[in-house]
Amino acid sequence: MTSASLSQTDEPAPIFPELRLSVSGLALSRGDTLLARDLSFELGPGEAVLLTGRNGTGKTSFLRALAGFIEPDAGAISLNEAPPALAAADTIAWLGHADGLKPGETPRSALRFWADLYGQPRTAIMPALRALEIDHLIDRPAARLSRGQQRRCGLARIVLANRPLWLLDEPAGPLDAEGRACLAALVATHRARGGLVIAATHQPLDWPEARSLDMGRL
Amino acid sequence: MGVLTAIFAREARLAWAGGGGAAGPAAFFLAAITLAPLAIGPAADLLAAAGPGILAFAALLSVLQSAERLFGDDFSDGTLDLYLLTPTSLAALCLAKVMGQASATLWPLPLIGVLGGLMYGLPPSSALVLGAALLAAIPALALIAGFAGALAAGIKRGGLLIALIATPMMVPVLIFAAGAGRSAFAGDERAVANLLLTLAISLGTVALAPFGIAAAVRGRLG
Repeated sequence: MTSASLSQTDEPAPIFPELRLSVSGLALSRGDTLLARDLSFELGPGEAVLLTGRNGTGKTSFLRALAGFIEPDAGAISLNEAPPALAAADTIAWLGHADGLKPGETPRSALRFWADLYGQPRTAIMPALRALEIDHLIDRPAARLSRGQQRRCGLARIVLANRPLWLLDEPAGPLDAEGRACLAALVATHRARGGLVIAATHQPLDWPEARSLDMGRL
Repeated sequence: MGVLTAIFAREARLAWAGGGGAAGPAAFFLAAITLAPLAIGPAADLLAAAGPGILAFAALLSVLQSAERLFGDDFSDGTLDLYLLTPTSLAALCLAKVMGQASATLWPLPLIGVLGGLMYGLPPSSALVLGAALLAAIPALALIAGFAGALAAGIKRGGLLIALIATPMMVPVLIFAAGAGRSAFAGDERAVANLLLTLAISLGTVALAPFGIAAAVRGRLG
């Protein structure tokens, strides 16, 4: 039983409205360190980019700039011609280093909360957990989940968010081989819906036709 | 469930589940007001006169107990990042968050205030006025503590910073809340005025502090 077959048994999700991400002449720094200069790229529906590069080359900073959390030193980021600060709030699903879980909270109550916050129906929670193969852990407090299970729960929130642009920071870090297969299947489904994915990763993720951007070479 | 209701409910639930709910601030408050008379001495008139001040002061300090966790936890587990990516205004969201936590953790303070007032020898009517003043002070105290907590989110040993930022801002509410109790005990007519001024500060804080908290959160994440 693979996650791909599971996600196919769920009802096909509707196509997202067209979203284009455009980055032009971007410069980023952290403290005195220049992380990127004159970085430009375009991303359209169904496309994926893998950010690679050694630790400290600015993958996370770049993702945070795309989400509008930090201001780039120069250049522009736009989501359908709007800056992230305006457009991010209902287009971006964010998975950072941490999964946003509270130790005493179960996936059920956490995802109910996020469903409310994202304005999604609570009926979408079980399919999201099933897609990550953690539906049997729904009532176990997060403190008693393994790192990989917590990551799967974070990814379930990404699915639940039902937003077109996924920004994932090391999504596969703590995942096992089956978890990576789940993730690949989810990304494929998301791209088929016209979604965009940008993931910073150290692990090789063989997502078909995903572009690669080496932050260390900028 | 609406977004703000959801945040309010989650904060209240988390405060009950993970933070011991009201036990922390209540225990601190009780310990402080029990110890103070041992230091002051058994003179009944002195204790009754000092009671409102000691009680208001101890309540203020007990509010600071949970300020570090309020935004610090959300900062380190990535929840604050996610709050930025919602269509709801961050200020409204922070208000719901602080009030949710306050409602779960600070509700015993006015009750202990009344009880403590009686313990210190205040007449019941004065003790009730003091309890009302503490109740009126809670929104201001919680939001000021929340603001300091947001500024210090993610800083190691942020408790010191929180105390340094929050206590000066809590001065007016301390003066008026304690003043209400003192005036009631002295029998002068300023008790109601003090009570209303405490409430006015709380309402003003409800209107203004969420924007400060939101700006602090954005600053910490940037």
